[in-house]
Amino acid sequence: MLTFIARRLLITIPMLLVISFLVYLGLEMTPGDAVSYMIDPEAAARMSDEQFAAMREALGLNKSFLERYGIWLVNILQGNFGHSLSGGVAISTIVLDRLPATLELAIFALFFSTLFGCVLGTISALRRGSATDSALTVIGMLGVSIPEFFFGLVAILIFALNLGWLPVGGRLLPGYETFIDRLPHIVLPGLVMSLMMTAGVMRYSRSAMLDSLSREFIRTARSKGLPEWRIHLIHGFRVALTPVVVLIGFRLPTLIGGSVIIEKVFQWPGVGNEFIQAVRGSDYPLVMMIALLSVFAVLMASLIVDVLTALIDPRVRLN
Amino acid sequence: MLRDKSLNRKFDKIRAKEEAGLLKPATGSRALRKMMSNRLAMAGVVIFAVILLASVFAPLLTVHDPLKVDLRSMLQSPSAEHILGTDRTGRDVFARILYGGRVSILVGLGSALIAAVIGVGIGAYTAYRGGWIDIIALRASEIFMAFPQIILVLLLVSITGQSLTNLIIIFVLTGWASMYRMARARVLSLREEEYVQALQSFGVPTVKICYKHILPNALGPIMVNITLSTAMFILAEAGLSFLGLGVPLSIPTWGNILNVAQDLRVLQNNWWLWLPVGSVISLFVLSINFIGDGLRDSTDPTLQG
Repeated sequence: MLTFIARRLLITIPMLLVISFLVYLGLEMTPGDAVSYMIDPEAAARMSDEQFAAMREALGLNKSFLERYGIWLVNILQGNFGHSLSGGVAISTIVLDRLPATLELAIFALFFSTLFGCVLGTISALRRGSATDSALTVIGMLGVSIPEFFFGLVAILIFALNLGWLPVGGRLLPGYETFIDRLPHIVLPGLVMSLMMTAGVMRYSRSAMLDSLSREFIRTARSKGLPEWRIHLIHGFRVALTPVVVLIGFRLPTLIGGSVIIEKVFQWPGVGNEFIQAVRGSDYPLVMMIALLSVFAVLMASLIVDVLTALIDPRVRLN
Repeated sequence: MLRDKSLNRKFDKIRAKEEAGLLKPATGSRALRKMMSNRLAMAGVVIFAVILLASVFAPLLTVHDPLKVDLRSMLQSPSAEHILGTDRTGRDVFARILYGGRVSILVGLGSALIAAVIGVGIGAYTAYRGGWIDIIALRASEIFMAFPQIILVLLLVSITGQSLTNLIIIFVLTGWASMYRMARARVLSLREEEYVQALQSFGVPTVKICYKHILPNALGPIMVNITLSTAMFILAEAGLSFLGLGVPLSIPTWGNILNVAQDLRVLQNNWWLWLPVGSVISLFVLSINFIGDGLRDSTDPTLQG
């Protein structure tokens, strides 16, 4: 197992290095002086020309490209991500500030999409070929065909503007601090995101369930005279669950990217919203850093999924 | 079992028809027949064709110019003159949806086709040759696939700036890797077939074996992948343009028309500005997904029946 993890790391680390190199290349090519994002702009404004030149030298900006990349990389490994061009706030501060909101939304959507997807997929599989099954298939197709922002807008119009049950957007208002206070804000974006993601889980759990129902042990259970619901739920579903759990892991990357537009529609103050603002304002250091961090998250997630799959499923060969 | 009974009934019906001489002998390709009998896929083809033709023949369907600003008729609700009303600058919404469809479909279908040509072209050749060239291509695709798609698209938009051509290039850059992966997997398994060895022993050039003799066997999954990518790119264009980061706002596209719906007042009071175009996008993408699903069922030999 340890050698397996080591081997996976050996593939992941060079990938991260190459991607960080490409990101740095992009950063160097985009307009703007490197000094502007490496030091606090307020401090830069107070400096004289000589101090500024000395600063460039100290930051290694007069060195060769590869050396500059090395310095940049070491900085990142130490948690110094540089400064945003607008406002000059440290990028690490911005990301840490926004991350909880994004995670909150992602966990909410992951939970409910898995729940809905498993239940509907199982119903679909048990009633295979029926009208319910066809209806669920078509609804699932609709789920992947409607643009997420359009679905979000319709939800805002109905539940926030016309019925007034839920807030239009945002996350925290002054004075609203506990989780219960925040709950109404997450319901709309969270459910919209969950419903958009349900279709995939539903499809997957339907085929997993069908596969598991056609196995020998189901016949054995039936021959023992067990009630039908017990055969389906206790014997069939349990075996179907393993591939579904793996699927959840594989969807972590899509979760990271998937919330970007939803966050914008609902003015949810997460990393995705910040990313869009950075792209709009040509805040290259921030854009590059968020992209790099998302790649890091994706690669780590897939590493963890691989290790978990190897742990759960004895059929996966480690070498 | 309930299912067995209904299957028995189905077969009884077919047998009865056969004995009465009502069944026509099967003609044409099996995949095509299967596709034709798939009701959802055929509905998809019809919806797809209607929306596509309506966009192509837009000038025949509307007399209005999608770009013509008419400040005397701002934000009018639907009427006989303007079937779907007018927007904030008095432009006819129906005309904008028709003409916008041209650009949106071009971006979606065009990017998917170019990505397929590049991805499949690289995948088929490098997988057939193997060795270092295959490893390099594989690693390159892994790099592209490590980014969440929308993040990579937005990153490239911020570097290259907004234009129609840039957007297509960006979609191709983000979409070729999945096509490549699929083509590679197919060719890797076909490479070991005996007919390929026979061709090799005849001294047929590598390029010819690869593109003329192996590739056609992978056509089914490629077609499925092209349809699904088209759907994905149309959604991506709509999303980006909705954010104001896709096609420049001066060009009408489905996403650009929806852009105004960010304003909550528009959302609440001027339904004709966003509801029809949102429905058109959804219907169009739905039809493509139905077609893609039908193609998958009819071309995948493991799903015969």
